[in-house]
Amino acid sequence: MTLLETENLVKEFGGLVATDDVNLTVEEDERVSIIGPNGAGKSTLINLITRRLDPTSGDIRFKGESIVGLEPHEVVQRGVSKSFQTASIFPDLTVRENAEIAALASERGAFGFEFLKHRDSLTDVHDVARDTLDSVGLLDRANTIATDLPYGDKRRLEIGIALASDPDLLLMDEPTAGMSPEETKSTVELIEQVKRDLGLTFVLVEHDMEIVFSISDRIVVLSRGGIIAEGTPDEIRGNEAVQEAYLGGVEL
Amino acid sequence: MSEKDANPSAKDALVGGSLFGRWEKLRGREGTVVGITAVLVAVFPYLFARAPVVSGILQGYQSLATLILIWGIFAIGFDLLLGYTGLLSFGHAAFWGGAAYAAGIVAKNVSGDPIVMVVSGTLFAVLLAWVLGFLSLRRGGIYFSILTLAFAQMFYYMAASPLAFLTNGENGLTGVDVGSFLGVIHLEADVPSVGGMLLGTWLYAFVGVFFVGAVAVAYRILNSPYGMVFRAIRENEQRAEFVGLNVWRYKLMAFIISGAFAGVAGSLFTIHGAYVPLQSLFWTESGDIVVMTVLGGAGSMFGPVLGVGLYLYIENIVSTIQALTIPFTDIVLIRDFGFYWHLLLGLVFVVVVWVVPDGLWGILTRLRELAVDLGSEAAKRLRSRSGNGGDGR
Repeated sequence: MTLLETENLVKEFGGLVATDDVNLTVEEDERVSIIGPNGAGKSTLINLITRRLDPTSGDIRFKGESIVGLEPHEVVQRGVSKSFQTASIFPDLTVRENAEIAALASERGAFGFEFLKHRDSLTDVHDVARDTLDSVGLLDRANTIATDLPYGDKRRLEIGIALASDPDLLLMDEPTAGMSPEETKSTVELIEQVKRDLGLTFVLVEHDMEIVFSISDRIVVLSRGGIIAEGTPDEIRGNEAVQEAYLGGVEL
Repeated sequence: MSEKDANPSAKDALVGGSLFGRWEKLRGREGTVVGITAVLVAVFPYLFARAPVVSGILQGYQSLATLILIWGIFAIGFDLLLGYTGLLSFGHAAFWGGAAYAAGIVAKNVSGDPIVMVVSGTLFAVLLAWVLGFLSLRRGGIYFSILTLAFAQMFYYMAASPLAFLTNGENGLTGVDVGSFLGVIHLEADVPSVGGMLLGTWLYAFVGVFFVGAVAVAYRILNSPYGMVFRAIRENEQRAEFVGLNVWRYKLMAFIISGAFAGVAGSLFTIHGAYVPLQSLFWTESGDIVVMTVLGGAGSMFGPVLGVGLYLYIENIVSTIQALTIPFTDIVLIRDFGFYWHLLLGLVFVVVVWVVPDGLWGILTRLRELAVDLGSEAAKRLRSRSGNGGDGR
């Protein structure tokens, strides 16, 4: 089943075409990576899908329904979650509260009137938060203030927040950016573990080719806003256009 | 002293430690918080206005104690918005003054029952907060603050002349006849017997019940999903939206809730003074509540009430000091000291914000942490000494 579909998607900033007629489909249970040189329009594409940006033209469909015109939180409620390029967390809240915020949104919806209901009674929220922290390996740090975590753990928490929203599709914007080799390694392990445990559909934007080629079922190559190639890692490896445009002819 | 004495004292420290530990556990409980608030509210006017020695030093009086609680309710609600949600409104005079006028107008035209006055004033404030929040929250940051300021000033000018037939214009709403509570109790009358010694007037008791109620409700809100969502919005609004929360509606709720607190307080203000000054809608009132909240400690539950207390104390009591003398002598340091109360308030504000950005409450928190550290240190030392038994002897 097709989970996500973009149709003739175009985004222009002034005269600059950042996304040029992109037709992307992501099937359920698929792991898709989007690669491309700097300025290829990868982040723009992600921001269009999460509704941070309005497309100039074209359509985006999730589970067959158009999500153009929805607010960002409505897209999340439909089941599209995003992990940010930077550690976008709630710094002064505890690690547990960080996860609970996301769990609250997934379990209790985008808005509610429960302002006189004690938090302790939200057992479903607590359960989801605990399970999520467990799966990203932060359960023993649950009472730590998030800002006190080392950078690698902040990024894990950031992924945890995205997971606690209980998504059907997870968009990851450079999950290993700014990480040390050890942190990168543990993050890749985390992604593979999540992929195994939760059977999530991923769209991954990543610079690290090693990660991309090891994790992806399919790779989409963007250049100057348009898709220039897509296929399995092996097909992309052998694709001359890709090597020319993006990899500069370097053998992979 | 023999070493026999060392052991009991070490034991005392341990018992003290466990008592302290038990206290630390109880401290955060809702019942404890509300109970302690009720006790403090009950003894406050006695200590402030009537107790021997203490009240002599403080120079407090009954009516100011009532006023502090009223502004305290306002500040608790305002802090839900400023301290917890991170939204700086410069227009809360609209809800405070709006509710005060609504309560006064209802008293003049419909019923002077204090409960009816509070309910109608609060309802008006809630509706107004809904509308103004809906319009102002379209923009963030400084634009939001300016929009709230502009809307509130609109109400000030409306009350000053176009609506003068309702508000009595520049003279303020005079002749508000506050009826008796439940038709029996006159609020200006003193509470009989011991209650009278503690609380003073029925009016204080009436306001005190609302204050304790406000604390209970605010504390519950902070411990509800809302408390968490508010802080999440303050910390990282974009992320809150991207976990699937409708940030806009939560912000509107924060605005309406704080408007409701301002409404309760504003209505009580009318009951307290039996008069609504036009000033109550002026932008300086919005400024005052910001200063009080920040002075006491934005983002803490009780800090803003301390801020209110200090602000009103300086405004009403320090300002009446004729000449500042060195204690117990007649040597005059500053003549017309009270005349400079604005300057003094400004200095206090600057120093507090500079030295402890989390306000008066931050000072208390730090003192408590220090006491905990010293206490555990002392207990440890005593324990190790008693463990060593008389090695030193």
